[in-house]
Amino acid sequence: MEDKFDCIVIGGGVAGLAAAMTLARNNMKFLLIEKGEFPGSKNVSGGVLWGSDLNKLVPNYWEEEDGGWDRFINHRRLTFMDEQSSFSLDFKSSHFNEKPYTGVVVLRSKFDNWLAGKVQEAIDASDFAMDSFIATDIKVDEVIMENDKAVGIRTGEDEFFADSVIIAEGVNNLLTRQVGLQDKYVPADHMLTGIKEIIRFDQKVLEDRFQLNGLSGMSNEFVGWATNGIEGGGFLYTNRDTISLGLVLGLKDLREKKQKPYDVLNHFKQHPTIADAIKGGEVVEYSAHVVSSGDSRVMPKELYKDGILLVGEAANLLMNAGKAIQGMDYAMRSGILAAETIVEAKAKNDYTSATLKEYRKKMDDSYVMKDIKGFQDAVHLLHTDVMQNKVPNLVCDFGRQFFSIKNEPTPKSEKMLLGAIKRHSSLWELAKLGFKARKSL
Amino acid sequence: MKLLSLPERLGLVSYRNQAKSEIKPHIIVDTDICNSTCPHKCTTWVCPANCYTMDEAGKVHFQVEDCIECGTCMYACDQGAVDWNFPDPEIGRGVTWNFG
Repeated sequence: MEDKFDCIVIGGGVAGLAAAMTLARNNMKFLLIEKGEFPGSKNVSGGVLWGSDLNKLVPNYWEEEDGGWDRFINHRRLTFMDEQSSFSLDFKSSHFNEKPYTGVVVLRSKFDNWLAGKVQEAIDASDFAMDSFIATDIKVDEVIMENDKAVGIRTGEDEFFADSVIIAEGVNNLLTRQVGLQDKYVPADHMLTGIKEIIRFDQKVLEDRFQLNGLSGMSNEFVGWATNGIEGGGFLYTNRDTISLGLVLGLKDLREKKQKPYDVLNHFKQHPTIADAIKGGEVVEYSAHVVSSGDSRVMPKELYKDGILLVGEAANLLMNAGKAIQGMDYAMRSGILAAETIVEAKAKNDYTSATLKEYRKKMDDSYVMKDIKGFQDAVHLLHTDVMQNKVPNLVCDFGRQFFSIKNEPTPKSEKMLLGAIKRHSSLWELAKLGFKARKSL
Repeated sequence: MKLLSLPERLGLVSYRNQAKSEIKPHIIVDTDICNSTCPHKCTTWVCPANCYTMDEAGKVHFQVEDCIECGTCMYACDQGAVDWNFPDPEIGRGVTWNFG
């Protein structure tokens, strides 16, 4: 079969494009299929792409005048909120100005499309310049299975055949379910809904307001009052002349507490700290997308089967363990490792699980699975009532007293702290939290 | 800053195949389940695009036109009423994000 591809990649997001880039560089004949008008057109993230893998895919990407990324992060902030106050851990360092950057803010419609352009350049430079393709506006209806091995895909009346299929379809992973790697119904328990507004400013206003210099940027996460009692958190990231402001809300909690996500977003925007930050801005887009929590209990049963590899959010590779929301970097690394495994499979001419299980091993050896396994307790801890509500209230209560200067005798800080603890929690509860946090973080 | 209503927010979304009067719905909801055995009818509040609404008699109705393909209803509905799929590029609706 001359038309047969070495690999079909389903989905033109970060994971699929990272796989495609790696396949092109290794002279593989492949087809990448994207259901949107262009790669990125249906993709939504917060979002920061953490780590430096982007430099592996597009070396010295920062030298390009107008690359697909928006700003590099050199300023990070974690904010605890109660109704009136915000208390932040704030870290800014010129250390993060050094290249390769350790985090870039991206807007997916622009970033993924730019990355796809780089993949096309790699295809053009490969032995299969005329035989490998990025095809858009095609929805894959089914992975074609023969004797429980993937042999291609079907879209409407058309079928395309390949020795292997990389499923990079994202969190709404219908094909992953079709091939039996995920249950047909995945409950809401460990899933969240992300909801976001893009708010535009005059670029100079934005840079002055957030103290940005050149292309530097800030990432800010929020916990506490932001989510109006729903498990989850908020985020604010600076883009070139816009900010991404949004919430990630536990789906099960939304269901039980009967709240509408867009109402919770308006609640967040009315916090005095947020209201000041977004003053004068203009909302230019509203978006939402489901996101997984990093709880390994919902992840697909396996990352491979005969002829198939799962990458990115299709495999629920995403985690927030308190330090950062990581997903796109996991997508990128898993895409690279999957494609490398396909290259090995071609060399051996064996695309069965016997070879593809190497992908699982590469993933287990990588920081992705090591972190997901190592920080499960932190993921659970982050979603407890103590961390979601009591700690933010306690911290803000203490802050309000500590930073209040009255013309009367000032109590010692320890007394203030003990008072705040008693009002919102207890010493025993915090001792337990501290013990758990020490082990899990 | 003025807070936006949901219709104002959805007004900022670029939907596909807007010019076509007939579109093929990508999500099929068996509202008979919503209106008979479902104990919560949660889609009427969890959906970020308010595609699921409840009328004065408490009956659930669904429209696909405003759907932004987020996937929330697929996970939130634990009653088997939501048959979720991606829109067909030619004859479906769905989104093209300008920022994403």
